Amino acid sequence: MFKELDPILHSQLRLAVMSLLISVKEAEFTFLKEKTNATAGNLSVQVNKLKEAGYIEVIKQFKENYPQTICKITPKGIDSFEAYVLALQSYMNPNGQ
Amino acid sequence: MNEEENLSEMESLRLINEMISKAKSSFVTTGAASMVWGALIVFCSLLTWLQIYLNYFFFVDVWSLTLVAVFFQVYFSIRERKLRNFLAHDETITTYVWSAFGICIFLLSFYNSKFGNNDQSISSLFMLLYGIPTFITGGVYKNKPMIAGGILCWGLCIISMFTENTTDMLLMAASGLFAWLIPGIILWSSYQKKRAANV
Repeated sequence: MFKELDPILHSQLRLAVMSLLISVKEAEFTFLKEKTNATAGNLSVQVNKLKEAGYIEVIKQFKENYPQTICKITPKGIDSFEAYVLALQSYMNPNGQ
Repeated sequence: MNEEENLSEMESLRLINEMISKAKSSFVTTGAASMVWGALIVFCSLLTWLQIYLNYFFFVDVWSLTLVAVFFQVYFSIRERKLRNFLAHDETITTYVWSAFGICIFLLSFYNSKFGNNDQSISSLFMLLYGIPTFITGGVYKNKPMIAGGILCWGLCIISMFTENTTDMLLMAASGLFAWLIPGIILWSSYQKKRAANV
């Protein structure tokens, strides 16, 4: 039986963002942009979708008079990411072997 | 990168792996703090050894220079943190470990100044402490020279239990060299190579 893939995560850019955020404690928006090679506008839209789903936390603050956006994965995001990877594995290995 | 591009299961797994590797490889340290601390321990130990050997104490408070090194450590750490646009999971562990090390070194120095005497050197205890943060940091960042440096500190600690105070200072210099100076130089050179590759 195949597990359903989370539609929020089953998108290239959102999955890339979640994979980056699961690897670090927190990251600035510029780090995500740098690693995904996405445009700021596109990335901003996807970050908002992840935030609305409760998968990430977005903190907006000022650092040396410049606006700074920090993204952090939430416990719900970690659970969903783990479930997504397990679902992927069930597709790759349908017999569970 | 597109937001709605259809991904196959294999592509998804590949993307996850690629991003995790990218995040992991982003963590680089200059090794400057390690080099400064290592050089200072080597310098202080050798100078103390020379003073004991010559029986001429021209710079009694040489170890107070370690306080200057602590300021440098804090400065380099803050500067490196500011240059990076992410915070790694492991950094929290190492920050606590090095803070604990700093506190223990301070307390041990204080204990030594209050209760220490020349017949019973506490150099062995210092070497014992030197090994702990170096070994843990090496393990966390999978840095083999630091792991080896930590183990060497403990080896030198054992040897120092059977040697005289004068020789202990040479062993202390060796522990500074192996635990920080050499790993620091290796980190520095690898940082410079990475920087040159990115230019």
